[in-house]
Amino acid sequence: MSLLWLWVALLLYSLGLVHAVVTVALRRERWFRLALGAFALGFLFHFVSLVEHGLDTGRFPVTNISDATSLFAFLITLGFLLGYWAYGVSSLSVFVFPFVFVMTLAAALSQRPLAVGPPILESAWVPLHVSFSLTGYAGMLLAFLAGVMYLFQERELKRRKPRAFYYRLPPLETIDHLGSVALGVGFPFITVGLLLGTANAARHWGPDWMSDPKVMLSFLLWFIYLLLILARVSAGWRGRKAAIFSIVGMAMALASWAGNYLSSHHTFLGR
Amino acid sequence: MEISLVGLSHHTAPIEVRERVHFPEGEIARAVEMLRARPGVAEAALLSTCNRTEALLRLEPDTPALPLVADFLADARRMRRSEFESYLYHHSQRDAVRHIFRVASSLDAMVIGEPQVLGQVKAAYATARAVGSLGGVLDEVLTHAFAVAKKVRTETAIGASAVSVSYAAVELARKIFGSLEGRTVFLIGAGKMSELAAKHLRRSGAQAILVTNRTYGRAIELAEELGGQPIKFDDLVKYAGQADIVISSTGAPHHILRKQHGEQFLAERRNRPMFFIDIAVPRDIDPAMNELDNMFVYDIDDLKGVVDANRRERQREAQRAEEIVDREVDRFLARLKRLELTPTILALQEKLHGLREQELARARLKDLTPEQRAAVEEMSRSLVNKILHMSLTQLKRLPQEPDGLKLIEFIRQTFQLKD
Repeated sequence: MSLLWLWVALLLYSLGLVHAVVTVALRRERWFRLALGAFALGFLFHFVSLVEHGLDTGRFPVTNISDATSLFAFLITLGFLLGYWAYGVSSLSVFVFPFVFVMTLAAALSQRPLAVGPPILESAWVPLHVSFSLTGYAGMLLAFLAGVMYLFQERELKRRKPRAFYYRLPPLETIDHLGSVALGVGFPFITVGLLLGTANAARHWGPDWMSDPKVMLSFLLWFIYLLLILARVSAGWRGRKAAIFSIVGMAMALASWAGNYLSSHHTFLGR
Repeated sequence: MEISLVGLSHHTAPIEVRERVHFPEGEIARAVEMLRARPGVAEAALLSTCNRTEALLRLEPDTPALPLVADFLADARRMRRSEFESYLYHHSQRDAVRHIFRVASSLDAMVIGEPQVLGQVKAAYATARAVGSLGGVLDEVLTHAFAVAKKVRTETAIGASAVSVSYAAVELARKIFGSLEGRTVFLIGAGKMSELAAKHLRRSGAQAILVTNRTYGRAIELAEELGGQPIKFDDLVKYAGQADIVISSTGAPHHILRKQHGEQFLAERRNRPMFFIDIAVPRDIDPAMNELDNMFVYDIDDLKGVVDANRRERQREAQRAEEIVDREVDRFLARLKRLELTPTILALQEKLHGLREQELARARLKDLTPEQRAAVEEMSRSLVNKILHMSLTQLKRLPQEPDGLKLIEFIRQTFQLKD
């Protein structure tokens, strides 16, 4: 059943995808409210799917790659909906709708029966580690998108010759604020996620846990994240510099994700 | 149905003609009554603004519209027909409906997308309705035109962007700061355009206004007028860093704010952005300031460039609006056709007689004698005819009523008449 709900959610998300494609192709926003409604409804079905999947398997559904992807898409949607509710920034949808669709599609296609995993994944800490980290990643992704939008809008305003982006993108300060909130919310989650993961790794992998590439990349990511926040808070970094830094941060997050494929220890079930 | 529109506008007639043909607001009611009273006119409405004077008419069959309106205008405005006749245009049926839809949607306006014209069309409608010169058809045309205008406004961005320099400045400020609530504006030097921009900004939520001028007395005057605070010209650099938006228009021969000032402001403001509107020629603000992050400098040419871009954006949106109007004209004409009187009457007759025969067939008339059967049939026929006669007398008056078409629609629905 949970897979069925996931496909229903996907169907609704696909309306969002169509909206994004139409918006980009025609260079104007149409039927946004309809797409937003479908997307929010998809979000509800997605939630039902996650809960049911959790009840079926008797654990928090994050132990294999498909579950984690599904949860990540869910968190991005949550972040987008909160952001839209608070700031009315609809233009993020052009990025978020397709992204969530692709992630959910990947999750739906790769879902398979649960295998029995190594003991480390049976630990109660693992689901917490994964969900905290994914929430942090979601914050980082939204900050990244805000950063990209900021750079486009700033370029329009600096060039003093308004073109399509000037008319479609939200005000600079709004984007900047959105980015800083996304970072501010994401950071505590990524910190807790990292601590949980580290504690777990140290317990199970023995003394060489530090030398795992995934662990090192994650710490680097966390460090960049910390710098970004410090730069904003203390040095008054904002606007363009902060936007570029958010984009670098996202690149690091991708690298850290890629670390999954380098690490011999840090894996998901069924890969 | 003979719908006609005859008139002249800024597209065809020079101002000298338009101003003479124009009806002052107080005279419209009497004029539209006069127009309605002319032979051949079944319904009339009159729209007169500084850019156009147009008569919207429903005429009896075979009434030529152009000479009728020309005569009316000549009489009402005491002009010779030759003075304006060559500027008149005449649209009929579909084109007339399309024209009035375009006018109401501000697609035919001098500044495309300017919102006043819809109000003027609404006023023309209200006047015509008040003096009783509207019947069902023109009432439908005009109310539908309002709906189309609203649709155009919500579904396109035709009126969204500023087409004057001072509004463009406010719009840019919004694109940088989002909300202008609580922002500080600094006015350096006086000038009509900068005062106008300051007033727009204040109306959009800007809180504090600082004013400075080479002559301190003028700064005090202006500060009072704008509800702001006067600053001595020598203290300019000291205060400028407090402002989010700086509007400068002094007669200084050189830059009064340089790039290093900008760096200083940014340090004071912890990089919060600043927006400089430099209206002065020669320029007051070093263009190099724009190279600094979070600093945005627009001179008068840049602002004009933004206005031009906005105009082009409106043009693009206008094309989409035209598509909407075309679709709506089709829909509207289909509706008019459906609500024509004669087919409605025929359908109603057919329906009632059909019901009669149906019921006769169901009733058990076999047991009756032929005389009795004939009596029942006769009775039912005359009952139906009585009912028909009553409603037809009423129906035939309907197109003259402003809400007549709505009533026809009501009857079609009540008796479930097929389209």
